[in-house]
Amino acid sequence: MKKTLLITALGLSFAFAGSVAPADNAQYQKECASCHFGYQPALLNKASWGKVMGNLSDHFGTDASLGKVESEQILNYLVSNAGSGKMTANNSTMQITKSPYFIKEHRKIPANVITQKEVGSLSNCLACHTTADKGNYSERAIVIPNYGRWE
Amino acid sequence: MKKTLCFILLTLTLLNAKEFNAPMKTYMDTLSAEAKAANPSFTGFDAKRGETLFFSKQTGKKGSEMSCTTCHTINLKNGGQNVNTNKPITALAPSANPARLTDVAEVEKWLRRNFNDVFAREGSALEKGDVLTYIINQ
Repeated sequence: MKKTLLITALGLSFAFAGSVAPADNAQYQKECASCHFGYQPALLNKASWGKVMGNLSDHFGTDASLGKVESEQILNYLVSNAGSGKMTANNSTMQITKSPYFIKEHRKIPANVITQKEVGSLSNCLACHTTADKGNYSERAIVIPNYGRWE
Repeated sequence: MKKTLCFILLTLTLLNAKEFNAPMKTYMDTLSAEAKAANPSFTGFDAKRGETLFFSKQTGKKGSEMSCTTCHTINLKNGGQNVNTNKPITALAPSANPARLTDVAEVEKWLRRNFNDVFAREGSALEKGDVLTYIINQ
C-alpha cells in the first residue's frame, strides 16, 4: 500500500515536472511540424488554437494555408487536446511564448543564448529542451547550445 | 554506324528525360491549358525561365527581400532550412528526393504558400509550370 502510494506520488511529480502529452496526430505533424517544432496542443488553450487556425494564410507573416477539410480536422485535434491549467492560464494570444507561465519559466535565461543562431528565438523549443518532442520539458533535460545544462 | 550512334543518343536522351508521374502529368496539362488561355502564343514550359524565377529576388510577404533559394538554397540536391524557424527542409530535387513532385495536392499547396511568401501573390499557370519543369530536371 505504502509502495503504491509512493509510486503514485512519484508518477504525479513526474507528470507535473514540465510534461505534456506528445503531439501524436499524424496530420498535425505533417501539416504543421513540417515548418516548425510540433508544439503540443496542451501548450495553448482552446481559444488560442481557434485564433491560430482561423487565419492560417497569414500565420505569423507566412502563408500556412490548408484545405478546409484538413484545417477543420487539425483544429478539432488541437481543441480536443488543448491545455487548460496554469500553463495556458491568462494567455489570450496565439503565442505560447506570451503566456504568463511561459514568461515566468524563461525569465532568467540570458538574451544572448536565445538570439544565438543555434536557437534563434524562444519558439525553438527543441534547441534547448532536448526531449521537447516527447513532451518532456523537465529542467534535467535542458542543454542550451554554447552554454550547457540549466539546473 | 550512324544508326547505332542515333540509337545510343536516343537511349541517352530517354534515360535523362525527367518524367512526371501520371497525376502530375495531368496537373501539368491543366497548367498548360491555363497558360495557353492566358497567352495564345504559349508553346510550352521552360526550365530556364523556371530557374530564373526560382533565383529571382523578390519583396516577400513579410516585406523583406527573399527568393525561393532563401530556404531551398541554390543547389536543389541539398536540403535547406526554413528561414523563420530554422527547421530543416528536405531536398527539392527529385533525383535526390524521389518523393518530390509526386503528390499533386502537396505540390499545389506548397506552390500556393511559397508564391505568396516569396512573391507576395499567387503564381500564374506559366510560372508554376516553368518552376516545376525546372525542379523536375534537377
